[in-house]
Amino acid sequence: MSNEVEHLVESQWSPKVVAFVCNWCTYTGADLAGTSRLKMEPNVRVIKLPCSSRVNPLFIIKAFERGADGVIVSGCHTGDCHYSTGNYHARRRFAILHDLLQFMGVEEDRVTFAWVSASEGNKWQQVVNETTARVKELGRFSVLQEHESGELR
Amino acid sequence: MTHKFLSNQGMASLVAKLIAAKTRVIAPVRAKDDPSQLDYQLIQSFDEAAFGVRLPRRSLKEFFLPPTEVLFHYRQTKTGVEIREVPTIAPPQVIFGATPCDVAALETVDKVMSWDYRDELWFGRRDATTIVTFLCSVMDSTCFCTAVGLGPESFTGSDVLLVPVAGGYLAHLVTERGEALLQSHGAEASEDTVARAETLCSEARSKVEPNLPVIPAEFAGWLASNFDNPVWKTVALRCHGCGACASVCPTCHCFDIVDEHESADEGVRRRNWDSCQTSQFTLHASGHNPRQSQSERFRQRIQHKFSIYPSRFGEILCTGCGRCSRSCPGGMDLPKLLGELVTLAQTEPEVSGQ
Amino acid sequence: MKELQDLARKLLSDGSVNVVIGYEAGPRGVRPAFITAPEQAPNLVFNIHCVQNLATYLNPRRKQITQLGKAAVVVKGCDARAVAGMLREKQIERGNVVIIAVRCGGVLQNPETDSELTKETASVRCASCTVREPKLFDHIVGELPPEPPVNTHRVEQITALERMSSAERWNFWTEQLSRCIRCHACREACPMCFCVKCTAEKTQPQWIDPSATPRANRAWQTMRVLHQAGRCVDCLECERACPEHIPLGLLARYVADAVERRFDFTASDDPSVAAPIGVYCTDDDEEFIR
Repeated sequence: MSNEVEHLVESQWSPKVVAFVCNWCTYTGADLAGTSRLKMEPNVRVIKLPCSSRVNPLFIIKAFERGADGVIVSGCHTGDCHYSTGNYHARRRFAILHDLLQFMGVEEDRVTFAWVSASEGNKWQQVVNETTARVKELGRFSVLQEHESGELR
Repeated sequence: MTHKFLSNQGMASLVAKLIAAKTRVIAPVRAKDDPSQLDYQLIQSFDEAAFGVRLPRRSLKEFFLPPTEVLFHYRQTKTGVEIREVPTIAPPQVIFGATPCDVAALETVDKVMSWDYRDELWFGRRDATTIVTFLCSVMDSTCFCTAVGLGPESFTGSDVLLVPVAGGYLAHLVTERGEALLQSHGAEASEDTVARAETLCSEARSKVEPNLPVIPAEFAGWLASNFDNPVWKTVALRCHGCGACASVCPTCHCFDIVDEHESADEGVRRRNWDSCQTSQFTLHASGHNPRQSQSERFRQRIQHKFSIYPSRFGEILCTGCGRCSRSCPGGMDLPKLLGELVTLAQTEPEVSGQ
Repeated sequence: MKELQDLARKLLSDGSVNVVIGYEAGPRGVRPAFITAPEQAPNLVFNIHCVQNLATYLNPRRKQITQLGKAAVVVKGCDARAVAGMLREKQIERGNVVIIAVRCGGVLQNPETDSELTKETASVRCASCTVREPKLFDHIVGELPPEPPVNTHRVEQITALERMSSAERWNFWTEQLSRCIRCHACREACPMCFCVKCTAEKTQPQWIDPSATPRANRAWQTMRVLHQAGRCVDCLECERACPEHIPLGLLARYVADAVERRFDFTASDDPSVAAPIGVYCTDDDEEFIR
């Protein structure tokens, strides 16, 4: 790519954010945000799952590997899980993942965990916009540049 | 074969010239994570090299067969599949300061790499490489190169073998490539220097020989007819099947082939190091695994290296470097074990087991 | 030591067990031993070179060992925790193993090169040991030695890492993991990695690329240590097995600390204590959640 074109592409770069959301609370909340025509940044790709506890840490890692610059993981508030205890289990798992990712050098703001209920359209809007802004500031996630290791040692 | 005397100064300037001419130079350097260990690495200046300190942790294998390498890129289009192959011509490189066990291994593996087809990636790099070996001075009690027909003074696989003498090295120009490398370097070697070098070579040999007697030629045959010997059931109980031995081994060369998608229609095909010691190595798609336990997998390792490969290619698939034993977390020790198996072969030479 | 040797002799003679898995002197120092006859009992040793976690050999899929029959295993406190983990997760049955615990005063970080236990040579994991007198056993042998000298090297490394910026930590791990060749020796040597089919081996879909690329190596190491959260006993076999000398112990310790900090849990040698991932408290911290 020529320098000019590269510069143009870079200045127009917008982060890709993947959101893993639970069907019962957050997805419905996001839907509400949409029907209420709340203004939201267009960077988030939503992936719907039955419950936040379905989120395997591998999903988050894979999202980053495949081009995500940021990830949102959101489910029901504790006590409100459609499956009673799913989000309690998820909370434990996410806590360790949150700490470990930081230890391995992933900036804390790249992964946002949230509880967004079905009636919290406004909160979803906030989560989306704030996450996008923070990730935009952090820039591209570096793992894409590292993939090819065809180099001899 | 001719000799030359190469002074310390001369060697430094040879390496500097190579680097200046953008030739890749690979030499043992102190490891960043542990300066007491050495790794073979690309160097940018002669000072980075550390000769005669100890055996580098990993072998030279990775410069010819990397732990992972792309075989081709593929892209699905509306009309078919586009394949973009990788270049098989490698940039010229010189390996400086290798040990005889590591370089002999390359010639041994050449045989399987040219057996049913010529592996262009392996030979692309082999053809581009000149190898300068040093007389080994870093042997320890786990080495056994002399037992497998080599030695710390072995020329096998080298283009030049350097023997350290006063003020520099006696350079044995083993091949034409070696002669070409030292064409404008070095001076005539005196008879004294040549004699001194010979003495040093036998002294080095005598340091390794006591570790393990030469493996008798009949051992390969004994292995072949003792596939069911009960000894295999107990000889590898402590083996984890981790494959660390295969990864550090200069002669192990098995690989797996995988396709990795980058997106829905693009990806790469890679080959990755693999090891017969892992439980899945012989796992069939049906679910059947002919080597179900570690005993069978370990038996395979010994059979392949000391019986099957020799029967096919005339060489033992082992150069006695001892890395397998040094790296084994389970405490397996190959020279000791070989000694025990050879003794068993000699005391019970007949076919054994059901 | 004699008490251990006598016990082994007795267990083998009276047929209580068919094999005693312990430690013996080998050509390269102490190595795992599989004693199947009473006459071999004098081979058994226990000293500061006994770093291996022998619980790994109880894995029911190690057919070459299970076919020997019922086993007794010699364990230090850390190893006993691994046995407890295997019992907790139903990999072995309590009645099928005889546990011989040894009172431990610490082991060496580098048993092949060092011979005395000091602040510099003691294993870094002994610094945080609370199970020098294991509670899970059928027999317990040995006198309780004095506390091991405290080697703070790893704590210092982790502290230094925590003080770095994200970018510096990212680069640190990129460099360390660049040596990973995906041999999975870490997994094979780990007593708690006993999945018949590891996540990394699954191909439909391939969650973790099997190739030794920077991003796949990162995914592999992250997932392995995550799967160990609350289960890892910090035996450091992973780090010892790694032919590329990657400091996996840093990851193991960091996650164990996170589990302790968040859930007040350390790997236990009591199989009835539930591991933290799999249970929950309604008031677990959620400050990191918006």
